[in-house]
Amino acid sequence: MRFTTRQNRGGKRLIMNMTSLIDVTFLLLVYFMVSTVMASPEDRLRPTIRTQDESASGSDADFQPQIVDVILVAGVPTYRLGQNDMTTASQLRDRLSNLPADLGVFIRGGEGVSVGFTMAAIQAARDTGFEQVTYVPLE
Amino acid sequence: MRFSPHGKRDRQLLLELTSMVDIVFLLIIFFMVTSEFARDARAEVDLPLLKGEQVEQSEEAGLFINIDATGNIILSTSESPVTIAQLSDRIQRLVQQESSPKVTLRADRNASIIRFNAVIRALNESGVSSARIATEVPK
Repeated sequence: MRFTTRQNRGGKRLIMNMTSLIDVTFLLLVYFMVSTVMASPEDRLRPTIRTQDESASGSDADFQPQIVDVILVAGVPTYRLGQNDMTTASQLRDRLSNLPADLGVFIRGGEGVSVGFTMAAIQAARDTGFEQVTYVPLE
Repeated sequence: MRFSPHGKRDRQLLLELTSMVDIVFLLIIFFMVTSEFARDARAEVDLPLLKGEQVEQSEEAGLFINIDATGNIILSTSESPVTIAQLSDRIQRLVQQESSPKVTLRADRNASIIRFNAVIRALNESGVSSARIATEVPK
C-alpha cells in the first residue's frame, strides 16, 4: 500500500489527517492510566496448617517437636521457644539457627498478637532453613 | 493500492479517517459497556512486610481470603464481608470441585491473630492442609 507519493513526482502530496486517531489514542491512554491500580510486589509464605487436635495426635515418644509459641507475655508480643522468650524476629532467627532444621518447626499463634508479628516467626523459620514449617492456631 | 496515479498534476488525495475513528469509538464504548470486568479478589490490606519464600514460579490464583485490619473476611471487593460459616461453606464447595484447592490468605499485618486462626481452623476442617500467606516485599 502506498500512502505517500514523493514530492519529486510532479508535486503531488497525500495528506493524512491523523488528528482524530491521535485523539482516540490519547483518550485510551488516559482511560487505562486512570483505571489501572498499581499493586505492590507480593510474595508468599507456604506453611502447612494444622489444628491443635491434629498436632497433638502423636505421642511424645514419637518425636520431640520444636515449637515456637507466639503469645503475649505481660502485654508484650513474644516468641517463646522452650524456656527462651524473644521479642524480635531477629532474636528468634538466631535461636532457630541453632536448632536442627530437618526436624521441622511448629509455629503456634495465640491470642493478643498481630498477624504481622506471627508471620514474622514463619519467615524466621524459613530463613533459617526449616523446610517443614507448620502453623497451628493456639487455643 | 495506488492512491495517486502518476501524471495528474496538482491533485491532492485526502484520506478521510473521521468515519473510521467514529466506528472505532463506537466499538470501544460498546466493549466498555458490555464487558464484565473481572471481580477484584484482592482487597486493600497492609500485608506483613516480609520477603516471603522468593519462589520464582507461576501459580494458579485459587481462592483469595482477605482479612482486613478490623477482622472482616472479604472474598471479593464487590461483595460484603462474609462470616466464618459462609466461608466454610465456600471452602467446602471448593474442595468438592478440586481435591486440593489453592488458597491464598491476605491478612492485614495489624489484624488480630484470632480472626486469622478462625480462618485457619475453617480451612483445616474442610480438608485444606496448606495455605499460601501473602506478604508484601519490603522496598
